Amino acid sequence: MPLLILFVTGNAPRTQRARANLAKMLEQIGRGDLGPHEIDLLKQPQEGLTYSVFATPSLLKTDDGGGGSLLYGDLSDSDRLHRFLADLAMT
Amino acid sequence: MSTTEYSLEKRRTGIADLDRVTEGGLPAGQATLILGQAAAGKTVLALQVLARAIEGGEGAIFVSFEESPEQVRRDAASFSWGAELLASDRLQIIDARPRISAETAGDFDLEGLLSIVAAASAQLDACWIVFDGIDQLLQYQSSHKAAINQIRRVEEACGQYGWTLLLTGKATRDADAPAHLEGIEFLLSASIVLTAEIVKQQLNRSLRIAKYRGSGHIANELPMLIDDHGITLPYHYADENNDVEATNERLSVGIERLDALLGGGIYRGSSLLISGRPGTAKSTLAGGFAEAAAARGERTLYISFDELEGPYVRNLESVGINLGDPINTGLVRFQSLSAFAARVTEHFLAIRRLLDAFDPHCLVIDPISAMLKASATEGANMATEQLIDLVRRRGITTVLTSLSGEQDPEGEATQGQVSTLADSWIVLDYNVRAGERNRSLSIVKSRGSAHSNQQRELLLGNQGLDLADVYENGSEVLMGTARAAREREDAAAARRRWLEWQQRRKDLEQKIAQTDKERRRLEAMMELEEQEHKESERQDERTREQIKQRRDPELDSKTPDDDAKDRRDRD
Repeated sequence: MPLLILFVTGNAPRTQRARANLAKMLEQIGRGDLGPHEIDLLKQPQEGLTYSVFATPSLLKTDDGGGGSLLYGDLSDSDRLHRFLADLAMT
Repeated sequence: MSTTEYSLEKRRTGIADLDRVTEGGLPAGQATLILGQAAAGKTVLALQVLARAIEGGEGAIFVSFEESPEQVRRDAASFSWGAELLASDRLQIIDARPRISAETAGDFDLEGLLSIVAAASAQLDACWIVFDGIDQLLQYQSSHKAAINQIRRVEEACGQYGWTLLLTGKATRDADAPAHLEGIEFLLSASIVLTAEIVKQQLNRSLRIAKYRGSGHIANELPMLIDDHGITLPYHYADENNDVEATNERLSVGIERLDALLGGGIYRGSSLLISGRPGTAKSTLAGGFAEAAAARGERTLYISFDELEGPYVRNLESVGINLGDPINTGLVRFQSLSAFAARVTEHFLAIRRLLDAFDPHCLVIDPISAMLKASATEGANMATEQLIDLVRRRGITTVLTSLSGEQDPEGEATQGQVSTLADSWIVLDYNVRAGERNRSLSIVKSRGSAHSNQQRELLLGNQGLDLADVYENGSEVLMGTARAAREREDAAAARRRWLEWQQRRKDLEQKIAQTDKERRRLEAMMELEEQEHKESERQDERTREQIKQRRDPELDSKTPDDDAKDRRDRD
């Protein structure tokens, strides 16, 4: 079960921004090791139903219970993203 | 399938009333916005469209942004078409509720959703798509502009995939768009606004087509109902029959003499209003009409407001009108409705459904004024107009009664303008004279036929109704005891006149007899006198003869003068 799943649509500009923003932030908090799993809803629309994720791009942080928390957007709001990933940060 | 600006294709929703007011359905391959406050019926409308599509063998996708799929199923299950919809494998409900904990960090779009829906619609061959409560998701957008762009994208996808899409969103009563989606009404070519408001403790719903680019449509706020069958626009039912043949056939109203006054009865397919104060025999007249229809073998739908079948039928029996038998044989369908239990629109809908189910030749509503008193935001006018229009189109001969007040023949029917709309109008009343009330009847109008405008007395007996002869006394019409007294007086006077005439005749006969006698006497006298006259003439003759004889010469002695004369003669 991947820890982070990034839902994207092909190579749309927002998708590209989201990838870059996420990679940058993970680097920043010292978790470059976490390779986020990508689901392309254009290729695998069923996965959207499985995870109940419809807005793209969006970042799903799964927990052990199978649920998780979701962050919509291209992750350009770095403060928000930072808070969202805070519990994964290396201490 | 794609649509251009220039050719608007419509897709029927399968809801007959809605298809009628939109003149054929909603724009195919485009999104239609459905707005309304909470509980205005947006989701119901959307589900109902899908149910009709499923019935028609099409596929449908319902994307819910607000309610759980279970809740959506419960919503649908409470309607008559719900079971079939939910049992169909051509319906897909997608739970697209945003996560409660979700946050936003930058721009996002609906590409993922559109991709999911596209995959599902390809699988189901779905044409109808519903995005229910999309504002729930778009409120996470960082800017208004971004949200609007998403709607634009949805609209594009419709053209791209050939979806006919319903987009529902919450809006306050006067707004044309959801709170944070201002401007989308300019984007889409059609929008429908639903409202629900409490007026006089009654929930009044309405539907308004706020916009329909490139199409004719009814733009007024239309009264709407939601019941077991879902959404209906009672006054905009697709009754296609627009050219009813006007027949010259006359139907009896059950009283021979009244038929005669109306020129042979009322036209088949026309409407007759009977108004009058309480107790003026309105129901009796209406009952007689239904009985006469049953006698012809025709079906009558008999709607009684606030009066139960048992007492009603019994009361009519007491005046010789038998509705019990035709009710038992199924020629009369008696339906008792409670006026205050529903709004005027609901009553109208109930009556329309009864007409659909029973398909009668005749309709009686006793009294329609009760129905019109049932409060509603939409006026009673609309209900009566629609009702009279409906029965006219179906060729149903209709009798409506209406309660009226003192010195106010129209009374409660005024508010519904029934008297204006009905083809014929009979006013029943009391006339008080010499301490007695008598029922009267007059025909105020009767379209397309000559009719008597004479007020008449209406007689109620255990043999039913009848009209009495008119008794004019100077400038007024006499009724009841006054009429009876007058009748007696007249009869006595007539008898007196007859007796007088008999007497006079006898006198004259006697006079003739006497005169005859006198004449004979005079004739006899004349004869006698004539005889006497002749006799005396004969006497005279004889006398002259005797004189002559006496003067014979041999008997006469000559005088000297004579001798002398004799001599001269000889010389």
